[in-house]
Amino acid sequence: MSNNIIYAVIFFVIMSGFYCIGYYFNHKTPKPKGCENLKESCDGCKITSCMNHPVHDMEGENKDA
Amino acid sequence: MAELFTMALAAILINNVVLSKFLGVCPFLGVSKNSKSAVGMGLAVIFVIFGASLITYALYYGILVPLNIEFMQLITFILVIATFVQFVEMFIKKYSASLYKSLGIYLPLITTNCVVLFVAKDNITQGYNLVETMVNSIAYPLGFMLVLYLFSCLRERLDSADTLPSWKGNPIALVTAALMALAFSGFVGIV
Repeated sequence: MSNNIIYAVIFFVIMSGFYCIGYYFNHKTPKPKGCENLKESCDGCKITSCMNHPVHDMEGENKDA
Repeated sequence: MAELFTMALAAILINNVVLSKFLGVCPFLGVSKNSKSAVGMGLAVIFVIFGASLITYALYYGILVPLNIEFMQLITFILVIATFVQFVEMFIKKYSASLYKSLGIYLPLITTNCVVLFVAKDNITQGYNLVETMVNSIAYPLGFMLVLYLFSCLRERLDSADTLPSWKGNPIALVTAALMALAFSGFVGIV
């Protein structure tokens, strides 16, 4: 295996690690007072890939049912 | 200096990411229902594109080129953008409640905005130096914000307009966007 591939794999693992650390600490950080549920202030756009979109709440409700 | 100004003007008006390159159309249609949301989204996009572009520039010329692994460019840039948004969100949560209240809702949307990736890649493919990268990384999102704000003002006006029921909502918005693209094409030739 050439050195380039090894470097690429190591680099990818490091970058993924940074993302995981960021994700973990971001979700661990408490939201400021008054911002616990920003979804309520969102009047809902058409972007369903956004986690704030109400469609994700509906999915949760369907699972509960 | 004049070259940088020309480059910025071209990125804002002539090569506008939304109306000329048809990138970022998803948030353009989605977050343009009111002008307040449009400004919030625009500001968040400017900040993230500027930060992510500088980091990707440093990583590309500092690590990918010396190690001869330029083929990792795309996946690196995607990971940098996603990671940067996570850290920005965490920082804002911790240190500025007011900023989080106004921008927090838009931050998850930016990860899926292809304009961020386009600007980061464009800086590399055009071979820009650091100053040019900084100007380009401010100008493109400024153009995005300008168009998003103008479009949101038009949509607010359209809500009270007497349009046919079948044209209400997205159909008339898309026609408006097409007319805006035509209007912006008039800027070609000023630089």
